[in-house]
Order: sequence, then C-alpha cells, then structure tokens
Amino acid sequence: MSNEATQTTKTRPAGSKLGAGYVANVRQRFPNAIVDEERQTADQLTITVKIDYLQDVVQYLYYDQGGWLSIAFGNDERSLNGHFAIYYALSMEEGEKCWVVVRTLIDPAHPEFPSVTTRVPAAIWAEREMRDMFGLTPIGIPDERRLVLPDDWPDNLYPLRKDSMDYRRRPEPTVDDETYTFLNELGDEKNRVIPLGPMHVTSDEPGHFRLFVDGENIVDADYRLFYVHRGMEKVAELRMGYHEITFLAERVCGICGYAHSITYANSIENAIGIEVPKRAHWIRTLLLEAERLHSHLLNLGLVCHFCGFDAGFQQFFRVREKSMTIAEMLTGARKTYGLNLVGGIRRDILKDARQKTMQLLDEIGREGSELIAMLVETTNFEQRTKGIGILHPKVARDFSPVGPMVRGSGFTRDVRVDHPYAAYADIPKNVYSADGCDIYSRAVVRINEFHDSIAQCKYALDNLPDGPILVEGFTYTPHKFALGHTEAPRGEDVHWSMTGTNQKVFRWRCRAATYANWPVLRHTLRGNTVSDAALIIGSVDPCYSCTDRVTLVDVRKRKAKTVSYEEFERYGIDRVRTPLI
Amino acid sequence: MFNLLKIVKNTGDVTVKYPFAPLELMPAFRGKPEYDPKQCIACAACTMACPANALTMETDVKAGVRTWQLFVGRCIFCGRCEEVCPTHALTLSQMFELAVTNKVDLYERATFSLCNCRICNRPFAPRKEVEYVMALMVQAGIDANVVNTRRSLLETCPECRRRQNILDKNNIILNPQSIWRTDDDAE
Repeated sequence: MSNEATQTTKTRPAGSKLGAGYVANVRQRFPNAIVDEERQTADQLTITVKIDYLQDVVQYLYYDQGGWLSIAFGNDERSLNGHFAIYYALSMEEGEKCWVVVRTLIDPAHPEFPSVTTRVPAAIWAEREMRDMFGLTPIGIPDERRLVLPDDWPDNLYPLRKDSMDYRRRPEPTVDDETYTFLNELGDEKNRVIPLGPMHVTSDEPGHFRLFVDGENIVDADYRLFYVHRGMEKVAELRMGYHEITFLAERVCGICGYAHSITYANSIENAIGIEVPKRAHWIRTLLLEAERLHSHLLNLGLVCHFCGFDAGFQQFFRVREKSMTIAEMLTGARKTYGLNLVGGIRRDILKDARQKTMQLLDEIGREGSELIAMLVETTNFEQRTKGIGILHPKVARDFSPVGPMVRGSGFTRDVRVDHPYAAYADIPKNVYSADGCDIYSRAVVRINEFHDSIAQCKYALDNLPDGPILVEGFTYTPHKFALGHTEAPRGEDVHWSMTGTNQKVFRWRCRAATYANWPVLRHTLRGNTVSDAALIIGSVDPCYSCTDRVTLVDVRKRKAKTVSYEEFERYGIDRVRTPLI
Repeated sequence: MFNLLKIVKNTGDVTVKYPFAPLELMPAFRGKPEYDPKQCIACAACTMACPANALTMETDVKAGVRTWQLFVGRCIFCGRCEEVCPTHALTLSQMFELAVTNKVDLYERATFSLCNCRICNRPFAPRKEVEYVMALMVQAGIDANVVNTRRSLLETCPECRRRQNILDKNNIILNPQSIWRTDDDAE
C-alpha cells in the first residue's frame, strides 16, 4: 500500500550547472525555436522561445522530458523591452532534476498567444489568470471564463499591467448578480444542482461549489474561487520594499505561511545571488518541518471530524498544541513567525529553547503515534476513506497537482528532494507515496510525513551548524529574476520574483500549493456521493473555515431549498436523513 | 474504541483556566510594542521598517512639530521596529490582550518639536535628533565645549550647509601652472 522511496542524499559537485541537456534537446528537436538562453542559478534556466513554438516546446518538455508545470504567469515588461512576457516554469523531475522556464515575448499590439492548455491541461488556471490580469488572450483555451476578476469588472482594465491602475482604486461593483456559468461536463440538464457557498466547504477563502448530482451521486462538480482576492501581488509591487514582502508573503496562508515567506525570500536570494549563512538555512528548515507537524496534525484531526469521529479530532488538536508551543518558543509567535528577511533570519535558537523543543518533539512523537494507531484501527475511518475521492494517476500527470495529493496517487514528487533548498540536501529524509489514489492514501502519506518531520527536526537541532544567521549589505540589483520553491505541508509553493528599482520588486508571482490542486478536485469528486463531498474536499487540505449554509436547487422543479451548513455537515457525518428531499 | 478511552483516561484534563487564570507565555513571545517617548529621537527609522504601516510619522512644518504614531490595529508584532531603533525606544512586550471598546484607544501618539535652520529658518530635523548627534560626538571623545561651538553648524539644514560650502568663483585663487590645459584651450 504505502511505498517508501528512501532518499539517498545526493550532494551535487560544487559549481555544477544543471539543465543544459534539456536546452540541447529542445534545440535539436526545434532548431529555430530558442531565441535566448539565460541562467539564473545552478539549477534554474530560462529559455526565450519564438511565440509560434511555445506550445510545442512546453509540451515537449512536459511529456517527453519529464517536466511538471509548476507555475505560469505573465509579466508586463513593456518598460524593459517593449513587450509583454509570459513564463512557464517547468520542474524537470526525470533525469537531471532542475528548473527550465520557457519564456516568450508578446507584442503589445497583438496581445494574444497560442494556448498551451490545449496540449498541457495543467496550464488552465494560469492562462485564465493571464487573460484576467494582463489582457493576454490565450487562443484556443478550452475555458474562456474569468478566473480571478469578478463578473462586473470593466472589460479593458487589467490590474497587473503597470499602467493600468493604482492598487487602492477598485471600480465599484455595478451589479449584484453573478453571471458566471458553472460547467457540467459529464451530465445533462436533468441533474440536480447543489450549490455550496459562496462561503464554503472547508475552504478558508470563500469558494462557491456546484455539485451536479443524479440522486445521491455526484456527476460533475464545478467551483469558483477568488471571492476575496486580496491583490497582494499588486500591493507588493507598488507599495512595499523587498524586505517587507517577506512579512506579506507570510500572510498568504494562515497555516503554512512560513513556507511562503521562505519561498519569497528564496526567490530574491536566488535572483541576486545572495549566499544565505548555513545556520540560517538549518533554522529555516527546522521551522518548516515544525510547521508541517502542526499542519498535518490539523489535517488528520479534521479527517477524524469529517468521518464523524470528533473525540479523535479533539485528541489530535491536543497534540498539535505542542507544536504550536514549539513555534512560539522558537520564533515568538504561534503563527506568522515573522522570522525571515532576505538574506537570512532574525532570531537564533538558544540552548534552553533547544532542550525544551527536543522534549516537546519526543512528546509529540509518542502521543501522535498513539493517536494514529488508534485512528487507523478505527473501522469507520477505513470505511469512509478507502476507495473514495479517487485521483487517477493519469489525471494527476496531466494537471501537475502537488503535495500529499499527488504523492497519494503514486508519484514521488517533493521539491525537498527534487530541488533541495535551505538545508534539505544535508538532512536525511524520505519521500513517501501511496498507490491507493484515495483519501486513505493521502492520510497515509501525511501520517508518514508526520513521523519523518519529527526525525528531521531532531536531526536539525542536534547538528545545527555555527555561524551567523543573516547577511546584510548585499547589493540589490534591479531586473534580475528567479524562482523560489518550498515544499509546504500541502505541496510545493513556487514564487517567481523580478527585482525592481527603488528597493522594490518589479513583479512577484506567488503560487500557493492549493492553487495547483484545485483543477483536479472536480475529477476526484466525480462518481462519489454527496455525503463524501466534504471529506474529499477536506483531503485536498485546503485551508478550512466554517461555512454559512448550503443551498439545494432542484432544477427540474425550479425549487430552491436552503439548509444550514451544520445540517449538511451532519449529513456528511451521520449519512442518515438526507437533506436533499 | 478501547484505545481511545485509554488515551483519554491517561491524558486527564488539559484545558487551561484562561481567561480566569493568566495564560502562560513563552519568554520569547512578541506582543504589543512598548514605547518610551523619552528615549525616542523621532528619527523615523521604525516607520520605514514597519511592514504593515502601523507606525507612521507626520511632520507639520507650520506648527514646527513631528508626530509619531502607533496604530495597534495594524501592528503585526514582527518586531522590526525594535530591531532598527537606534535608541531602544521600542521594545516588544508580552501584552496580547489588546481588544478595546473604542477604536481611538488603539492609537498611541507622541509629538516632537522640530529644529529650525539658523540660516533659512525652516525646520529640517527633530530637535532631539540634533541633540542626540551632539551627545554622540561627546561620547565619541570630542570635548563638550568643542561640540558646543559647532552647534551653529549642526543647527543648519543640509541644503544651507551645502550652499555655504560652494565657493564663489571669484574667491578661488589657483596657481596658474596647476591648471590643466584642455583641448579647448589649445584651439
């Protein structure tokens, strides 16, 4: 059931540059495609290709060369080179492991490009976002709906264009009605529609879900998010200095914020070539693993909750509290540690805290194991999670999901091993995957990672190198760019930053783990029953929050019925007395 | 089920009595910034470092004052202000119970008088900052009387000081032999 790919810590020869082979392959396959080639770090390369070859090159690197699409985005480079640019960052994971970013320039007079989604489905959200934010039209994209902007947003106002708007000015809403169409790809008009939201299911950011059901069975599901788009990228560009964005990035997520902070800091450090002191790297790694502990314990607790096992939920939260104590002790805050700056960290770990942390880690390990053993042998748990919410490996390969989601479907993707950052190259660890493709497999992956995180924290505390924790006095060079990446508890976070003038950032593209996981959710919901919906969405581990209510719509009778969320959740747990009638 | 009951029994009661008993905090905990206006020289370093704009500084040239302000409602308790403050006027306390019934209570202000330039008579820096510079010079080993004689220079704004340093062309006497010949001269 559960696989373990034991990682052999590969230390790269110093100064070795990775990825040249892929570029050579692209050159051989498409002799005239590449216009320019630029290296950012030892394992990051950016190739600029002619716009006509964009689809071919991305497809070739994705399917033929073992690439996964981590992030794609636009950038308004008209002030730099007179063009818009779009970037597709591919994480190459078969053969030589490195990043190849495919870039292409777009003439502002014809803001269009051939849609890569037609070849690589994983680009779907990113391309819809490029259209919303930059007005760059992907020609041939299968889904032309807006992704980020609200329905009543003016047609020709593209927020992330440099000349478009002041981030403080937002057009007033003009209509109250939603005009967004939810797509039922597999069913027909006979299906009942169950709207969940807009404040909904277990997701922190309000999302609106539509379940198209036939009786109790989910035929298809569609959803809409971005109801509370915070415009962070625009704020970062316009109003913040490069140090301040580390604190803003930390607020992207309330659970794995530290991962985002590190990802951003990494991207700037990579872009301008700052060598972060070893001790800072190790402490960052330690805190990332401490964050994973609390996040995984939270998710395991919530899995209990959604299986109707609230006593287990309370027990997991009791143990999780200890990991919050570790964070408070080492950083000064339970969440939003506020510890990062570009170039290192702000607070060292002293002896007292180190000893106390060791003791707490022992307790978490012992008590967590007891709870996990108890959870796994609870029959109800297995019954509710095995074979439910299947994410087929083929779908996973097409859409590049991340974290326990993809590892639960048999892939061993983990940037901690694939592209070691911080101190991960020096700390022994394992990558766990499971073949069940269901909720159970995802839980198993999280359980294994929980144990592994404790081991990594202890190893980091035992072997913490000496030395400084912060470099200052580096030169902030404008218009350099690079990727930063971190394996957050939910999967990889990838940021891309381009430095700007005046201590600012020219462009900051921040992609959270769940962004990569949403597009596959509809596939995992298909074929399951309504009562499993909450559990399936929970297994993606989006950020949770409570939900207002659920509206049930019978399309045939044109009748709407609203039940409280408690009722819907109760049904998910008890599975008797359906609220659908 | 039996295992769960065993765990529950062995664990006992873990709920803390808060808010009926004080909450135990880690010594490293970062809470509300405590401000000491006596130490502050109104240099504005904290307002530059504050990522959340909780700290702001406003200068009123007409009234000749500069007002420092902390709005706890925006504070993210990161402690950057504490880090950059040259005079330790800000330290993060352990205070976290910050709810108020009146929003005004979230603001903290301190007003400082500005120092006018001796030449142009316009305010250019907080008075306390100028005094702090002089105190630093004394600390650095310069005799207090000597420092005092430089007061007029220190109380001149950078712009006027620069203007004073620009020498009038007519006053410059150069040794003709030391003047570099340029190509223009050759023609």
